[in-house]
Amino acid sequence: MKVQVDGVEIELAAGTSAIDAVFEAGGDVPYFCAHKYLSPVGACRMCLVETGSPRKEKDGSFVLDDATGQPKIFWFPKPMASCTMQATEGMHIKTARSSEVVAKAQAGMMEFTLLNHPLDCPTCDKGGACELQDRAFEYGYGASRFGFDRRHADKHYPLSDFVILDQERCIHCKRCVRYFEEVPGQEVLDFIERGGHTFIDTEEGGLPTGFQGNITDICPVGALLDNVARFRGRNWEYDHTPTTCTLCSVGCSITVDARNGRLERIVARENREVNEAWICDAGRFGHAFASERRLTVPLVRVDGELQEVSWDVAIAAIRHGMARHSVADLALYLNADSTLEEGVALEALADAVGSVHVDHWPRYEVSLDAMPNGAATLSDVATADAVVVIGADLGEEAPILELRILEMLRGGILPPEYAHGTAIADLRLVERPARKPEKLAVIGKESRLWAHAGIRASSNGHNALERLSRPDTAELQAALKLLTDSEKAIIVLGADVLNGASGSFAAQLSDLATRTGAKVLAIPAGANSKGLAALNLVPREGGLPFARVAEAPAAFISRLDPGVRARGLTIVHDSHLTATARLADVVLPAVTNYEKRGTTVNLEGRLLELEQAALSAGEAADLIRTLTAVSEALGLRAPVRGLKGARELAAQKLGIKLGELPERGVVHPFRTSHVAPTEQVHIPKLWTERMQPSIQTLIPANLQPLPMLGAAPVGGDD
Amino acid sequence: MSYFADKQPLVADIFSRYPDSPQGRRSALMPLIREVQDAEGFVNGTRLDEIAALCGTTATEVRSVMSFYSTYHTLPTGKYHLQVCSTVMCSLAGSDELWDHLVETLDVQPGEVSPDGRFSLQKVECLGSCGTAPLMQINDDGYYERVTPGKCARILDSLRADLQPLPDNPVPVTVNAEGRQTLANGEVVGASITGLGQLPPIFPGGEA
Repeated sequence: MKVQVDGVEIELAAGTSAIDAVFEAGGDVPYFCAHKYLSPVGACRMCLVETGSPRKEKDGSFVLDDATGQPKIFWFPKPMASCTMQATEGMHIKTARSSEVVAKAQAGMMEFTLLNHPLDCPTCDKGGACELQDRAFEYGYGASRFGFDRRHADKHYPLSDFVILDQERCIHCKRCVRYFEEVPGQEVLDFIERGGHTFIDTEEGGLPTGFQGNITDICPVGALLDNVARFRGRNWEYDHTPTTCTLCSVGCSITVDARNGRLERIVARENREVNEAWICDAGRFGHAFASERRLTVPLVRVDGELQEVSWDVAIAAIRHGMARHSVADLALYLNADSTLEEGVALEALADAVGSVHVDHWPRYEVSLDAMPNGAATLSDVATADAVVVIGADLGEEAPILELRILEMLRGGILPPEYAHGTAIADLRLVERPARKPEKLAVIGKESRLWAHAGIRASSNGHNALERLSRPDTAELQAALKLLTDSEKAIIVLGADVLNGASGSFAAQLSDLATRTGAKVLAIPAGANSKGLAALNLVPREGGLPFARVAEAPAAFISRLDPGVRARGLTIVHDSHLTATARLADVVLPAVTNYEKRGTTVNLEGRLLELEQAALSAGEAADLIRTLTAVSEALGLRAPVRGLKGARELAAQKLGIKLGELPERGVVHPFRTSHVAPTEQVHIPKLWTERMQPSIQTLIPANLQPLPMLGAAPVGGDD
Repeated sequence: MSYFADKQPLVADIFSRYPDSPQGRRSALMPLIREVQDAEGFVNGTRLDEIAALCGTTATEVRSVMSFYSTYHTLPTGKYHLQVCSTVMCSLAGSDELWDHLVETLDVQPGEVSPDGRFSLQKVECLGSCGTAPLMQINDDGYYERVTPGKCARILDSLRADLQPLPDNPVPVTVNAEGRQTLANGEVVGASITGLGQLPPIFPGGEA
């Protein structure tokens, strides 16, 4: 399909929208309401272009222009919104670059949009990263002829604890309304009092938790603001660090914004393959711990009390404490959200000291690598024709997986990609999409996903798979039929079935997958469980699993909080003074995953990079550097002394090259190398206590409330 | 307390006017709101939830639709809901003075109901009777035209005695029990999917 944009002819795939045609041709069109992953509606009227198409005679030949002999272009009489217009063969498009009419229409539209927009950019959190600000500068007149009072409305209207609406700033692009309708499938926001005083509100008593924060990302102005980050910094003051979220095993791409060494804000970053443009509320708002009550120096127990010391003193204390133990007594435990590099370093140290007590937590004791039909990716889930979720509470285990399943229910339309990125307006996405709940079966405990599922079956975790294989109820029969009848079915497994699952479970699952042709997606217990499982990080012959840390002769516990100490020397490596750290002999300060460089592996087996955000963490160190110090205390030369060494070792052991990965990550077939009993049950919990934003702690205790004007009297004259 | 629980035939009748699909169910929103409002004078709170549940949507959606129309009320209205036209023609003919007079004598502001529960006031846009300005509509009963101070006082006196005077003219187009738009003389206007057959036949001859 050939389309001419501002006189330049380009070749386009059929179905491309006019706005994407312009961007594909290297042009620019301002827009506010269009969004890559939402339906185009043409609400803001900013993306106006002039378009025209050739017309055909009845015999199929083009109507020719008498003067030039070329097909005559029949122009639409007025500018058209390019986001809702499909580019067609031979279409001509004129943008503001070549059309005076378009330039004037856009400037006029800009003036109209700004009529009631307050000029409070200097105090607006969006300032500097505001689509309206940028487009007004690029396409506006630079002056307004509107000499009257602007509309006044509530500037601090809390839609929920996390999202504040400034009704004056809203330009009614409808992105947030469409987001809730189309993405999480909750119609909780809408325009109220349509007309001159339209505003956004909900009648449901607040926004549902889960995915509400995304509306603060997609708001093109400063109307919807992240309340956790509100008034915390200007956009140009933040140090933006593109990294990966490690709260769950999805591994969403995020940008961490830090200012003066404090983590102030987390926003979603686009990753078409993983989280598209969305992240969950826990990932967005649950970062309070990264800047609050951090451990910044090592602590050593002296006369029963933990005292702040230098690393050298801490190393000496470990050496002193280990004098009573052989080095092989030291149990090594790490959190399963540690990076692959850290896992490699710990495995190497365990090999070097000959410790058998090695474990990572949380994990399951089953290997599901050898499933037929191959590994499922998140894109596979979104484009599947049936999904059966067994024993999973996705809200706690992998929230974005829930969104990808909902995407499957509304047709699994993945917007195409162009040189300028994901399609700005995919015309196949429609408002109020028809959903197909019959394509989703949920088996297990009741969860948020139940509301969207056509087939629901209550079941215990431990026998859910067995019952599905030999269905004893109508619902389970329907679920099995759904799997059998579908061509691209996916089975999603969660904690309720994976806890305590054994080899026979894997065989049963493999059998079911073979029978039905379904792909299997097991949600790993920890953010990087999938990657760490490929290393020998489980109890070796005679070793103690993490559940029995209290029996270990001596233990090094990295960022885990069992709440007990080992029998002998207990070394805790953590970012906060946890209950376990309070019991420890030596506490070494750790960095959080926001401050690490390394690689994590998500539930698909996708390698994703972590980058270091500019947070102040004092003398805190990541696991690799900490293990170097521990090695020194043990009188060894650490086998891995840095990120580079860890990556070289990972290349040897796993045959993968870490570092310099593409932005979207690379899927690598990981194999679980060792399986061992865990002896405890993993209960997934996304929001932990320390993640709760504690805004109260930031308010000085002696602050007095300002005298405020009383509420305005009810009523008026209209 | 549910409003529609004991009115299943009515609900079924309203839904029967629309296609039997999720979208069709949503279309029943307006008559359901109207039904509650006719009975209770306003629609709010649990009634929104109830209507939302019937239509398969959310209370936000119901409020969104309701708030677009000035004829749906989210606040209680009085037994006599006085609607004063405030558009240019009536304004030129003295509707502003009429409004001020009503607010003062009845001592109610928009959104309020007088203590005796009789009166509530609302400014509305053009009612389409500019030739007889200033105009006032009481409930859905009809138009009170050329409301002069004397006429206004007479109307209010009668209303206070619960003797509502006959309107000068009926409301030109109303919705009847079948959900069809009808003229005051009973003639059905507009169209609905069930009533398509009742449209006048197209006369043959002549191209448009």
